[in-house]
Amino acid sequence: MAIETDKRVFIAIPTYNEEATIGDIIERVRASVPQFDLLAVDDGSEDQTARILSRLGVITARHVCNMGYGRAIQTAIKYSMRCGYDLLITLDADGQHRPEQLQAIFEEFVRGNWDMLIGSRRLGRRDSEGVPLGRRIGTSLFSLLVRLTTGKRIHDTSSGLKVIGSAVFEPLTYWHFVDFHAEAIVYLLRQGYSVGEFPITVERRTGGRSMYSTVSHFKYPLKTSLMVLLGMVQASLTRRER
Amino acid sequence: MTVQGILVLNLIAIALLVWIGNLIRRGRLYVGYGVIFIAVTLCVIIVLDVPRLLTLVIKMVGAVFPVSALVMLALGFIVFMLIYILAQLTMLSNRLTILVQTLAIERAEAQAKLSVGLEREATSAREERGHASK
Repeated sequence: MAIETDKRVFIAIPTYNEEATIGDIIERVRASVPQFDLLAVDDGSEDQTARILSRLGVITARHVCNMGYGRAIQTAIKYSMRCGYDLLITLDADGQHRPEQLQAIFEEFVRGNWDMLIGSRRLGRRDSEGVPLGRRIGTSLFSLLVRLTTGKRIHDTSSGLKVIGSAVFEPLTYWHFVDFHAEAIVYLLRQGYSVGEFPITVERRTGGRSMYSTVSHFKYPLKTSLMVLLGMVQASLTRRER
Repeated sequence: MTVQGILVLNLIAIALLVWIGNLIRRGRLYVGYGVIFIAVTLCVIIVLDVPRLLTLVIKMVGAVFPVSALVMLALGFIVFMLIYILAQLTMLSNRLTILVQTLAIERAEAQAKLSVGLEREATSAREERGHASK
């Protein structure tokens, strides 16, 4: 049964050079959840992404230069704070997330009264078909790191499908995050906010290029691990300040 | 340290001071950064020109030769400056981020307002047409 709510919700799609998939994603989001507002955060795309967004009449926050995924998410959060939204749902533009699942994850967020709900590719699943070994190891490692630092098990820390409540808008813009993955989860959990997971299914990337290059496969784990540790320190300092 | 070595280092230090002063004067170097270099260069000149001070520094650093003491201190200073400059770069990048985000948000907001306005206009035009046909 669909949940009736008066919450102002908007969906943010951070995008960078996703001309192959963005049009389809926008159409599917509009068809699946027409009641939600939509914002594309174009992170300085150099291909036809901006033109496609304009043709589709999507409200777009366009970075004049590429600032990175984390900054794009932060722009979406700042926009939602400024426009007085109650909820923000982030969705990847590469076609991996199914917009048809947005209603379900939104309903679970409202039902569970979460502060952040992550669309998990691994919750309740044992098979990891099609997932590269490196990513599988990385996901398990970060899941373990979150568990060790917070005591809570989050199976999929790097999912781009998230529902973020207004209670955590400010904390998430107060400090700087790399990609709003493990470090943001630890930061919020250590401050006493509730973070949960909701099982989703993903499709294989159909176009564009992954934001993780060969170098970043080595850099990312180091960066995120350091940020998790610093996030713990920052969270306790912020708690004390409050 | 030989007198010749001290003289050469003094000359280099003076040349550096003149160069830094000129850069600051022409607005090519922020005075805050220039001051650090001027202070360090002046310290080096004083240490070089006062033998007792130079001996003290060598002992403090634990070096055998004056040159190695100076090299160690110079390396320390370079590392310090590198971190300082990277911190300044990060600050600059953060400021740029705020600027880019603000610009993006304001444009998106304007776009949203415009589309709401257009929608309202279209609705009222439809209503007017409806009234007229009645």
